[in-house]
Amino acid sequence: MKMKLLSSLLACISLLFVGCEYDNYEAPKSTLSGRIVYEGTPVGVRNNGPQLELWQDGFPLRSYIPVFLNQDGSFAASLFDGTYKLVRKGDSPWLQQATDTILVQVKGNTQLDVPVMPYFTISNPSFQQNDKGITANFTVNKIVNTANLQFVRLYIGKFILTDQGQQELRVDANLSLISFGQPVSMQVALPDNLKNLDYVFARIGIKSTVSNEYYYTQIQKIALK
Amino acid sequence: MKLRLISMGIAMFAVSLLNSCNHDDWFDRESKTLITDQQLWNDPKLLTSLVANYYDRLPTLHGVFNTGGMTELDDAMWSGHRDQNWRNDFQFGDDYGRYWDYGLIRDLNLSLENIAKFSTQLSDAQRKQYNAEIRFIRAFVYFEMVKRMGGVPIVTTQLIYDFSGDPTPLQVARSKEHEVYDFIYQELEEIKEDLAANNASKTRANKYAALALESRAMLYAASIAKYNNLMASPITTTGGEVGIPANMASAYYSKSLAASKEIISAPFALYTENADKGANFYDMLNKKTGREVIFAKDFATSLKVHRFAYDNIVRSLTEDNESSSTISPSLSFVESFDYLDGSKGTLHTKNTDGNYVAYSHIDAIFANKDARLYGTVIYPGSTFRGRAVSIQAGVAIWNNNKYQLHAAAQLGQQLKDELGKEYAGGLWTGFDGPLYDAQDVSNTGFYIRKFVSDAPAASTRGTSAANWWPWFRLGEIYLNATEAAFELGQVADATGYVNKLRERAGFPANSVTNLSMDIIRNERRVELAFEDHRFYDLKRWRMAHLVWDGSENDTNAVVYGLYPYRISRPGHVDDGKFIFERVRPARFRRARFFRMANYYASISQDVINKNPKIVRNPFH
Repeated sequence: MKMKLLSSLLACISLLFVGCEYDNYEAPKSTLSGRIVYEGTPVGVRNNGPQLELWQDGFPLRSYIPVFLNQDGSFAASLFDGTYKLVRKGDSPWLQQATDTILVQVKGNTQLDVPVMPYFTISNPSFQQNDKGITANFTVNKIVNTANLQFVRLYIGKFILTDQGQQELRVDANLSLISFGQPVSMQVALPDNLKNLDYVFARIGIKSTVSNEYYYTQIQKIALK
Repeated sequence: MKLRLISMGIAMFAVSLLNSCNHDDWFDRESKTLITDQQLWNDPKLLTSLVANYYDRLPTLHGVFNTGGMTELDDAMWSGHRDQNWRNDFQFGDDYGRYWDYGLIRDLNLSLENIAKFSTQLSDAQRKQYNAEIRFIRAFVYFEMVKRMGGVPIVTTQLIYDFSGDPTPLQVARSKEHEVYDFIYQELEEIKEDLAANNASKTRANKYAALALESRAMLYAASIAKYNNLMASPITTTGGEVGIPANMASAYYSKSLAASKEIISAPFALYTENADKGANFYDMLNKKTGREVIFAKDFATSLKVHRFAYDNIVRSLTEDNESSSTISPSLSFVESFDYLDGSKGTLHTKNTDGNYVAYSHIDAIFANKDARLYGTVIYPGSTFRGRAVSIQAGVAIWNNNKYQLHAAAQLGQQLKDELGKEYAGGLWTGFDGPLYDAQDVSNTGFYIRKFVSDAPAASTRGTSAANWWPWFRLGEIYLNATEAAFELGQVADATGYVNKLRERAGFPANSVTNLSMDIIRNERRVELAFEDHRFYDLKRWRMAHLVWDGSENDTNAVVYGLYPYRISRPGHVDDGKFIFERVRPARFRRARFFRMANYYASISQDVINKNPKIVRNPFH
C-alpha cells in the first residue's frame, strides 16, 4: 500500500519535469551589435536617451523592438536570425529618417554601423588639466545646413555617466565666439566639491534648436592628481 | 379500487394537457431581469442613471483626486509608500498621457442613435436634453483625446461590421488637429441651449459647462496654433494631424474670449464667503456652496467617496493607521506664490552675504504671501482642522562659526542632552517631519491643503472624503479670459480680469499694471494648482521641454524642499529663532525630463496594426 502511494507520488512529480518543454522557446542566440557613426566616428549620446527601433515583417504580432544606445553610441540586441528593418527615430541629435529604414540580415553575430546625419558635430576634442582648472579644445562643425546652434556645453562629472541630465558642473560656451570649422577653447575652474577628487570625467555636448537631444563627445577621464 | 385510481389519474392528466395548451402567454412574459430597449430609452429614470455612468467615466489625467498623477510634475513629489517611489525616479515615456477611448465613444454614439430610434414616449424637451448631455460628454472626451494625441479619428456613429470580409469601411483616418477642435466647438454651439434646463445643477452638463469647455478648448487650440509655430522646428505631421496653422490663432482666441465673457456675465461669482482670504481659497473647493464652481463631479458620504484626504492628510492629524502625507508640494511651487507687495515669491532663506536669515516665528518666512499659498499648501507653523501642524526638521547649533544642523532619530522627539547639556530642552524634530528619506511623512517640508477635506473622519478609509471635484470653475474662466484678451491685444481688459482674481487672493486693487505672458503663466500655476492644468498648460505653450529639461541642477525640474531648523544658541539674540535650509530630498531621484516626443503621446501599435490609415505621431 505504502509502496503504491509512493510510486504514484513519484509519477506525479515526474510529470512536473516533462511539462516544461512545450511552451518554452529557445532564447535568441544571435546578436546584432554596432555603433552609431557619422563618417566613421562614433556619435556620443545621452545615457538612457535616444533609441533605435527594429521591426520584423511576416509575423501576426507587429511591434517594434527597442534598441537602447550606450552613451558612446554603441548598441547590442539579442535576436533570432532573420531580416529586420532598422529605423532611426526623431528627437535625436541627428536628422530623423523614419521612412529611410536600413535592412539588416541577422545571421549569427552581426556587426552593423548605423550611419546618421548629426545636426552638428565636434571634432578633435581634448582636455587639459592645469592650475586654473580644465581647458577644453575642440572644433564645432555644422553638418545640416538648415540647423541652428542653441548650446555648446562643457560637462564635468564625478561619474562616467555624465551628460545634460547628470553632471556636477555645466558651463555654456559663448556662441558668438564660435565659428564652424575653427578651433574653440573653453576654460573652466573646478569648484570645491570637484577640486580634491582623484579624477573627473569631461564631455562636450552640442545642441541644435531642432532637437531636444545633444550630440556628445566621447567621455574622457581626467586625472587631477 | 386500484383500477379506479388509475383511471382517475389518467383522466386528470388528460384534462391538464388540454388546459395548458391554450395559453402561449405563459411563455411570452416580460423578463424580470432584462431591460429592453423600449423600456430603457423611454424611462427618464433609467436614462438618467445611464447618463450618470457616462458622467462618471469623464476622462482626466492628473485630476479627480489622482494623488499619484499630481506627484509626477514639478509641483510636488511622492512621499507616500515606497512601492510607488518610481514617481520620483522616472522619465516621461513615449506613451505618457496616452488616451484612446473609442469604447466610450461607441457607447455614447450608441446612446445617441438609440434615443433617436426608440425614445418615442419622451417629451421633445427631454429627448433634446439627454441628446445634448451625451453630446457634451462626447465633446469632452474628444477634447481629452485631442490634447493628448493630436488629431484623432472623429467617429460620430456606431461602426458596425457587415461580415463582408472587408473591414476598410470601419477604418477611419485621423482628422487634422484643428478639425477636432472645430468639431468640439461646433457640437457645443449646437447643444448649449438644449442644456439650459440643467442650469440649476452643478453636476450635470448645463449651458455654462458647455461654454466653459468651449472657453478652455478654444484657448488650447489658439495657443497651439501660436506657440507651436514659434518653435525652432514646429511639431507637425504632413497631413496636419498634429500642428495647427498659425493664422488660425486669433479666431480661436476670439471664440475662447467670447465664451469666457458669457460665463462671467452670467450668475456666477468668485467665492468670497470667508473673510480670511487664505481660508476662503480653501473653502471655495472644499465647501459645496457659493457660485464659483460651474460643473463638478460630486461625492457623498457612504454613497460615493474618495480617499484623497486619507492619502494626503498631515501625518500627525491622520485618523487612520496607514498612509498620509503622500503629496509633498515642492519649494519651486511654494516660491511661485508672489508677495502681496508684488515682489517675486522667492523665499529669503539667506542674506546676500550667504548667512541664514533668522525668523522669530517659524511661519514668518511666509508672511505677506499670496493668500492662495495658505489655501493650497500647509507650510510650517500653519494649522489644519484647527490644530497646529508640527513641521520642524531639527535643531541648528552654532559651532565653529557656522550652524550645524541636527535632526532627531524619531519624529516628535524632544531634545534632551544628546547634543550637549547647554542645548537641552524644546522640540527637536516635529511630529510631521520633514524627513528627507522616509515614507508617509513630508519629504519637502510642505503638505497639501487644497482638496484635502477637513470633514470629521474624512481621512479614515471607513468613512473617506466626499468633497467634490470641480471640472470647471470661474477662477479658470477669468484666467482664460485674461490670456485670450492679452493675446488679442486687449491688454486693458486682460489686466482687469487678472486683477479681479488677484484681489480675491489678498492683493490690493490693480496689483498688476504691466501684464505679460509670464505673469499669466505664473497666475495659472498658483490659482489652478493640482487641478489637472499644469501639464497641458506647459504643453500648449510649448514650454514643457524647457521647464522640465531633465537637468539635475535645475530648481524647477528637480523637486526641492525647505527644512526649518530651530536655533539653539544660548545667550545669543537668535536663540529660539528659526532658519531655513533648501534641500533636495533623497527620495527624489531623477529630474523631470520632458522630451519633444512627449508633446503628443504615441499611438498604440495595436491601434496602428488594426487600422493602417492611422498616422504615427512625430518622434514615435
